[in-house]
Amino acid sequence: MGLGDKLPGGGVSKTTGGILGPGTPTFLTSKVDALINWGRLNSLWPMPFGTACCAIEMMASAASNYDLARFGMERMSFSPRQADVLICAGRVPYKLAPVLRRIWDQMPQPKWAISMGACASSGGVFDVYSMVQGIDTIIPVDVYIPGCPPRPEGLIYGLMMVQEKIRQESLTKHFEHRAEDPATVGAPRASEEEVVGLTGPFGNSTHQERLSTGEIPTPESDEAADTIVT
Amino acid sequence: MSGLDAVGEGPVSSDATESAATGSTGDPSDHPSVAALLERFGDAVLRHRLNAGDQWVVWVDPARSHEILAWLKDDPDHLYDMMSDVTGVDYGKGRPVEVVYQMYSTGHRRALRIRCPLPLDALEIDSVYDLWKSVNWLEREVYDLFGVTFRGHPDLRRILMPSDYAEGHPLRKDFPLRGRFSRAEQTRRALNQDVERYYLAEDIAHGEPQQAPEVGTKASQDGEG
Repeated sequence: MGLGDKLPGGGVSKTTGGILGPGTPTFLTSKVDALINWGRLNSLWPMPFGTACCAIEMMASAASNYDLARFGMERMSFSPRQADVLICAGRVPYKLAPVLRRIWDQMPQPKWAISMGACASSGGVFDVYSMVQGIDTIIPVDVYIPGCPPRPEGLIYGLMMVQEKIRQESLTKHFEHRAEDPATVGAPRASEEEVVGLTGPFGNSTHQERLSTGEIPTPESDEAADTIVT
Repeated sequence: MSGLDAVGEGPVSSDATESAATGSTGDPSDHPSVAALLERFGDAVLRHRLNAGDQWVVWVDPARSHEILAWLKDDPDHLYDMMSDVTGVDYGKGRPVEVVYQMYSTGHRRALRIRCPLPLDALEIDSVYDLWKSVNWLEREVYDLFGVTFRGHPDLRRILMPSDYAEGHPLRKDFPLRGRFSRAEQTRRALNQDVERYYLAEDIAHGEPQQAPEVGTKASQDGEG
């Protein structure tokens, strides 16, 4: 007693052929979630935000040898308004931070972000006055790709992780997934404590003992801070 | 003395780094401009040096730098019509900040480097924008990163750092590597920048109108265009 007995035509075409040939169903049942997620994850349009050498690898990923189009990233969307996934490839200085934030704000929901490479994810070796220490202080990030720069396989794997993430989403949790507080638009994403936590001693800094506390050093304290503690 | 000790000592002065391997005082008669400078501006020339085979460097008194550079540009025996670069050096430990002019004479095919040491309490020098239009952004860069004020520059603003940057001049040796503000404050200030301000039309069209010189006129020969 299957579904086919209750439906006109039996749900199974014995003569003209169903969607997979004769004797196969003429319709499929599925969850709306699965259908919508399937559509979303196979037509992700990336917004390339390439600022440094990672962008070279990103271009290589899009070129014929690696061919992002296989995964639905058919077209790099150079307008944020048609983009689904932001790929931030390369270091982001503070001067560029509001640009990145504005591009993110201009992308329509649903949207995802990939932080590609060490510099975008953490500031990388650039633990200096001019560099954003991880773009997750500016925008929410879904996938971080390590590497300096990551190979195209790395970027493809990151994009497939985004696809996997989309596959897990449910429309019933839409507002949970896609919630965006209008008050945070154009504002720093991480809390101040979180950002201050990023300023701890870093291996490659020549001021390893110094924390950026915000105080303007006097000449005496500046002199002391110039000595290296080993 | 380990390598880290050397870092703690700070950068050494240019005197010590310019060993016999990289340079010497040279023979000024090899370079007509150096010889002429010594003869004509002997009291303003602090010292001179020959670096890397054929790069002549002349240290001059910053108070007379504009006069000397104007003479080097206009004198028919020298005609340094191309100002390749204007940059700065800070050696730290209270030593003077030096403004470096790298010039080339396309007519005589000679290069010359002029350096002007500026004491830290008087970081001011005359702009040479009236001589070479190309120094406009170069002097802005030195102002932005070293805090050297160029007197007479038409548009002395920051060029690399954000226009509202309040932490100082980053390439100075007394500037902390991570800046003076906390990361939270730096992030907050960065996101409060007015991005569109960078691209306003009146911002781009600044200074006196620049006209391409007609080929063969005096202006093009002087490189005034």
